[in-house]
Amino acid sequence: MRAFLIPVLFSLTLLGCGPFEEVFVEKDLLERPQAKRCSDCHADIYKEWKESRHALAWKSESYRRESENYTKTKCLACHAPHQVDPEKKPKLRAEFKDDGVACVACHFKEETGAMHGPLKVWSPPHPSKQDLSYTKSSFCAGCHRETYKEWKLAKSSKSCQDCHMKSLGKKDLIQKFPFYLFHRAKPRHSHRFTSLIASEEDIKVWFEGGRLYLENVGVPHNLPTADQGDPRLYLIARIAYKDGKVRTLRRMFSPQAENALAPGRPVGITITNAEGVSSIKIKLLRKLSWKKEKELILSREIHGEGLPGQVRRGNPEGGEGVGKDSEG
Amino acid sequence: MGRKTLSLLLAGVFLGASTLASEVVLKKPPESLDNYYPPKSKKWEFLSKMHAMSTYFYGINLNINNEDWKNALRWAKELKKEYVATSKMVPEWKEYFKPKLADELVKAVESKNVDNVLKAAQALGKTCAECHAEYQLSVKLAYHFPSFESIKLEDPIEFMEMDTGKYMEKMTNSLKALKIYLMQGDKDNAAQAGEEFVERVRALKGMCSKCHTSKLSVEAIMGKEYMSNLDKLGEVLSSGSGDKGKVFGLLQKATSACMKCHNVHLVPAVVQEKFEK
Repeated sequence: MRAFLIPVLFSLTLLGCGPFEEVFVEKDLLERPQAKRCSDCHADIYKEWKESRHALAWKSESYRRESENYTKTKCLACHAPHQVDPEKKPKLRAEFKDDGVACVACHFKEETGAMHGPLKVWSPPHPSKQDLSYTKSSFCAGCHRETYKEWKLAKSSKSCQDCHMKSLGKKDLIQKFPFYLFHRAKPRHSHRFTSLIASEEDIKVWFEGGRLYLENVGVPHNLPTADQGDPRLYLIARIAYKDGKVRTLRRMFSPQAENALAPGRPVGITITNAEGVSSIKIKLLRKLSWKKEKELILSREIHGEGLPGQVRRGNPEGGEGVGKDSEG
Repeated sequence: MGRKTLSLLLAGVFLGASTLASEVVLKKPPESLDNYYPPKSKKWEFLSKMHAMSTYFYGINLNINNEDWKNALRWAKELKKEYVATSKMVPEWKEYFKPKLADELVKAVESKNVDNVLKAAQALGKTCAECHAEYQLSVKLAYHFPSFESIKLEDPIEFMEMDTGKYMEKMTNSLKALKIYLMQGDKDNAAQAGEEFVERVRALKGMCSKCHTSKLSVEAIMGKEYMSNLDKLGEVLSSGSGDKGKVFGLLQKATSACMKCHNVHLVPAVVQEKFEK
């Protein structure tokens, strides 16, 4: 059907309406419209973005509170950026701040007057330019600075986009008639910018030399990570001793306390009276900055040294885990 | 009268009463002043008026010394305008303001008589100084330091959210417990209390970032050296050696941050609490 319609529509347009590009140019698209305007064509991408934290970057109640009602000037630009460029702190946008980190902030560039993106596309309503910086972690670094530094230290082969903008396979970029007929499906990546939760395989836990160790072996940035946000990781260890005594040890890890779990760097916690330990039940939970509830990452039991059945669990081989989608 | 003498006398007009007082008064500022300071207003309107009046006062001084009576009159009129406007901002302070004296200063400058100007300036300045003597310090303490009231901290040991006062109490109690157990020779309990103290100090760093969004200011107090000392303290405690000498030595460094922050924040926090600000 498409193979037939494309040449027909194309010929009709050329014959009847003058130069093709001019006919379909929609000038307001180059005047920094609201995200809703982009949904006229990119309905699916808009729907994904609308469900993302980027869409709530300005409107989020936790951000409003933490920014002291938008008066902490340092925070503002990344929550409503004018133009996002690799490794460059953006400037605060003047208009439509409620849109947060929106379509034109990331895709429209003043320098070219065109929409930039990772794909080579033909888009009559607005000029488009292929820009491979969209596939690299450095694109996110202007705002997610601390996380980017951590990621660089981890020397991971995976980019931010690999995990947080998952591939959706080949899909239509636009849904509006008749434009979608002119395009072939292209490789699409989710614009939900999903927050992931570490999986059990991402954290290695073991008990050795009287110390309980935790190591982030699967996530290529600190756990948890944030620039100014305050997410937390909670460890609850219920230590059972041979004499029947039980002690509960709690620890909290956060980027603001600078004790988050860095990739490949074990954190050891000394267990007092270690020789008397018979078993340790461990729970690891996390709390995102904007959420009140804690979510379970792992729950397991390990046994004391020298006892039959001692295990060293986790992912001894290391390697990068992929985490789980925390939403939905 | 020489220029120097006039300058000195006029400079003293504003400061006089507050600096000569032999006791410090902290009177609770009136409610309506809240309208011109954070958190209600981020524009600092009242302080801006004070700076403006002080500047215009100096404008008179500066121009008379340059024998530029035209500009001196300009600033006298500006001063009068600001003084009258300011007198209407805080009704509870209405009695401190004497707009008539501001008018007399304008007339004195118009007369181009230095003695008249000095007399009128002193009379007007006295009204400022009287209010400053009673309120300048309390206003500074009540409004110039952000309140800790809205800041909540999560205790890393009990996972409960609490206000800063309660958190400080828990942290210092774990410090005191560590010292007591160490002196009693109870190594296990000393280790546990000490580890809890270390974790609470570590988590406290998160509190600073609520206001100090620039990491540099936090690093100045709890920087790499400080955190590495804290790690060492944690290790010594966890080893269960009960080495009093080492622990007390490391504690001395770990508690050095207390004084640095308290020197800046404690007095305003206590005053704000008393004023219920």
